[in-house]
Amino acid sequence: MTRDRATEDTDAMESLYPFLYSKETDLASVLEQVRQSTVDKAREITSLRATVLERDRSKLTECAHAMAASFAAGGRLLAFGNGGSSTDAQDMASLFLSPAGNEHPLPAIGLTNDIAVVTALGNDIGFEIVFARQIAAWGRQGDIAVGLSTSGNSANLLWAFDKARERGMVTIGIAGYDGGKMAELDSIDHLFVVPSPSVHRIQEAQTTVYHALWELAQAALTTR
Amino acid sequence: MSRPEHGTELIDTVFGRRAEPVQDLGDQADTVARTCHAMAARFHQGGKLLVFGNGGASTDAQHVAVEFVHPVIVGKRALPALSLTSDIATVTGVANRAGLPEVFAHQIRHLSHPTDIALGISSDGSCENVLRGLRCAAERGLLTVALTGGDGGQIARDASVEHVLVARSDDPRVVKEVHVTAYHILWELVHVFFEHPGVLQREMKS
Repeated sequence: MTRDRATEDTDAMESLYPFLYSKETDLASVLEQVRQSTVDKAREITSLRATVLERDRSKLTECAHAMAASFAAGGRLLAFGNGGSSTDAQDMASLFLSPAGNEHPLPAIGLTNDIAVVTALGNDIGFEIVFARQIAAWGRQGDIAVGLSTSGNSANLLWAFDKARERGMVTIGIAGYDGGKMAELDSIDHLFVVPSPSVHRIQEAQTTVYHALWELAQAALTTR
Repeated sequence: MSRPEHGTELIDTVFGRRAEPVQDLGDQADTVARTCHAMAARFHQGGKLLVFGNGGASTDAQHVAVEFVHPVIVGKRALPALSLTSDIATVTGVANRAGLPEVFAHQIRHLSHPTDIALGISSDGSCENVLRGLRCAAERGLLTVALTGGDGGQIARDASVEHVLVARSDDPRVVKEVHVTAYHILWELVHVFFEHPGVLQREMKS
């Protein structure tokens, strides 16, 4: 859209919806609304992280020790998720595989990294098996499977956890809201549920969960 | 990595390290508001968003792109956004021919329009290819926005960057988490300005 066209549209909108253009919607008040909203969201995430720590303090430490034990025995980490969570899965895999500084590089693979594999499986069989099928190819007893989902309902994660359990992997689920269907599975050894009504705050706290697992697992490996 | 103090479990130290940099982002709310306004004005003019970063930030670039293209909140407009880290053929091709510092600038040179927005993400503010991308974008008239960390780094001080949010931590994991919150907020609050198109006629510099 060109600037002129945009201006015309705005003029047309103004004649249709004059209430949108009352003085309460001038720039200063919108900026103030946005400023306040930013402050509120920053407070919200800090309080959510405190809730996660309070609920899952011992579970996080236990899970990190299980991960350290797996890596020490030659295990690998496979991480997966959809959408924004696929980027978390890739970030988590890369954090383990190529950490900055003096931390141990550990074998880890993001199952959304290879778009040829993902689209081949999705096209030939169905999107619900894009992770399960890769776990069937890669997963060995003692490897680690980590699935991230804000809703906890992603069908391809549910299939993946079942396959990972079948393979004897250590299974870790990171979900949001009330945990969704992931909370009903018996195939997840370590489940972390971030309780928030906001998908954004859930993702932000989920990032902290896997960062904490990485840091705790690194520490556990160092002291082994 | 810092070790737990006597009597404190490591996990408390890990979680505790997040609080202050997040509070500091809240203290940058004015900059957030002005950045959202400038970005909304560019989208309103038909501009698109180009996002780029290295390592963990490359996954943030993809996350930002999906956030704008496929809104999680029903009823919000889909907006054009592209991660410059997703085309691995181009990234590795340019890196191999011209070097890693050129990978983002090259794509900006050939994919951007002056009404677009360039968003560079660098956890220590010193990534050479992110800086080059932002400089190339500024020369072409794009709106330039950066998310950095630490003390802001060279990118935060560079004249080519119009809007900067700094995650004040030396821990790259904490920086990333503050960045995720920052771009979630940028996405959500850009849409607030669309509800008031009368205020999108001009941009303000922060």
